[in-house]
Amino acid sequence: MSIRFFLSLYAQYARMDLVWLLRDTRYCLIVMFSDLLTSLTAIAGVFLLAVRFENFSGMTSNEVLFMLSFLLVANGLREMFFMGSNVSHFSRRIGRGQLEHMFIQPLSFPSQLLTEGFLPFTGSSNLICGIILMRYSLSLLDIPTSTAFWLSLGIYLLLSNATILGVAYLFSTAAFYAPVACEEITSSVFDISTSLMSFPLSGMPIVIQASLLSILPTGLLGWFPCLALLGRPPLGLPGWYHLLFCAFLWLTATSLLRKGLRHYISIGINRYSQLGHRS
Amino acid sequence: MRQVITVSESLHIQAGKLVLMARLKAEERLRGGLAFLLMDVSLRLFAVVPLLFLWRGIFASGSASDLGLTLEQLLSYTLLSAILREQLLVQTPASEWLYQGLFLSLYQRPMGVFTQIVALTVGGWMPNLLLCSLPMALVGPLFGIRTLPVNSLFALSLLLSITVGFAIDLMFACLLIRMQRMSWIVTSIRRAVMTFFSGSLIPFAAFPWGIGDWMQYSPFGALAGAPLAIAVGSSQSKVLILSQLLWCIVLWPSLFHVFKHTRNQMMSYGG
Repeated sequence: MSIRFFLSLYAQYARMDLVWLLRDTRYCLIVMFSDLLTSLTAIAGVFLLAVRFENFSGMTSNEVLFMLSFLLVANGLREMFFMGSNVSHFSRRIGRGQLEHMFIQPLSFPSQLLTEGFLPFTGSSNLICGIILMRYSLSLLDIPTSTAFWLSLGIYLLLSNATILGVAYLFSTAAFYAPVACEEITSSVFDISTSLMSFPLSGMPIVIQASLLSILPTGLLGWFPCLALLGRPPLGLPGWYHLLFCAFLWLTATSLLRKGLRHYISIGINRYSQLGHRS
Repeated sequence: MRQVITVSESLHIQAGKLVLMARLKAEERLRGGLAFLLMDVSLRLFAVVPLLFLWRGIFASGSASDLGLTLEQLLSYTLLSAILREQLLVQTPASEWLYQGLFLSLYQRPMGVFTQIVALTVGGWMPNLLLCSLPMALVGPLFGIRTLPVNSLFALSLLLSITVGFAIDLMFACLLIRMQRMSWIVTSIRRAVMTFFSGSLIPFAAFPWGIGDWMQYSPFGALAGAPLAIAVGSSQSKVLILSQLLWCIVLWPSLFHVFKHTRNQMMSYGG
């Protein structure tokens, strides 16, 4: 698959998203508003705590604002590229027995997953809001924003998304074996990650910090990248730790997905009645 | 020959049906096997630990002197919130069933729609209460965190909280019927609003500019903020309970009225 082919697929999904927006503008504006409200309420609590308490968990209120804006941009990117067709909530597609829809497409699984979630118009509200907030928070922080800084920022945003999606896909594999019980396991992953990722972890014991940078890597979604960008990476870890972790995470997730897929092909998942209702 | 059933027998039969429905729902959640449910439980357990350390860190820095809550109260608040998460933020299957087209099956049974929803929701709580809440409640004191409420009014407040929770959730279900295919939107708005405005994650006392003083009397504040504040020994327990009672009185008749005028717009698509 060439880059050009991928771009043509993205253009196709962008066109479909635009058509959806134009055909039912009221509905789409409500979707965009709800996405924005969800993200803002997720970060509002922590921001209010940062305002209330000086040096909140080892970070100033401006640094916390920068971290929250980073999370908003990262979430915005995830929504723009992976929100459509339940690409990020992959356990739903497995648990509902909808993987067959992918089998009949003349594209590889990775190609489909990388492109079909693209919503550049209806999925852009958080990204736009996050960019504005990040611009403001950077002006408050007064840190040098060189080309290297922007490049690092871009890489960390990619890694942040690779981390949350990696964890979501890792847990999604459970849906191959327990479709009903684990259909919504990715929602649990996103819920817990959303509730934890916005808290600065600097003031916590090292064991907790290390756990949140490895076992349940919510610290890698915003806290680690932001402190690395501010020039003081947590626990003295090098920046490439994040890259290494993502590589390990995706190797594990891919291996388990392959195993689960073999199970799916031999057993199948039948959740739909003849009326089209799901059991 | 016609069989005569006394009132007490009738009540007994009805109660039996409710228990059976609750059991069915509990068993449905366990259908995938205990191991897969434990995965969800372990995620929840793991999520509460950092929050407990966060509060300890804030108190250690000395910036929480004017909070109005001691560290012990704050830790107890956070742990109780995690233990009673499903009861404080009631989520019935009503919205999901509307989306999946299963809601109509409730009309095929000789029982009230709301009664069935309540029975099935309570049944769905049981596996997590046993596998997650009970162990957390037992382990908490070993780490110096009180999990027993200090005020006996907490039981009443929790009951009122659950009652308000059902009313709010079913109101959202009515909104979903009105908005038809906007299932995802209604669900995400509800989740966002309830997490932030209910005080389940961050106590109202920790908010700046006195925002929390107002939020605790809102219908969402009646869900988690009020019972948790009473559990850790708030001085305003009677006012908070009155506020919860008021929301019960306002919301339930409103719900019956709204549902009566909304149910004829219900559509079943299949999920």
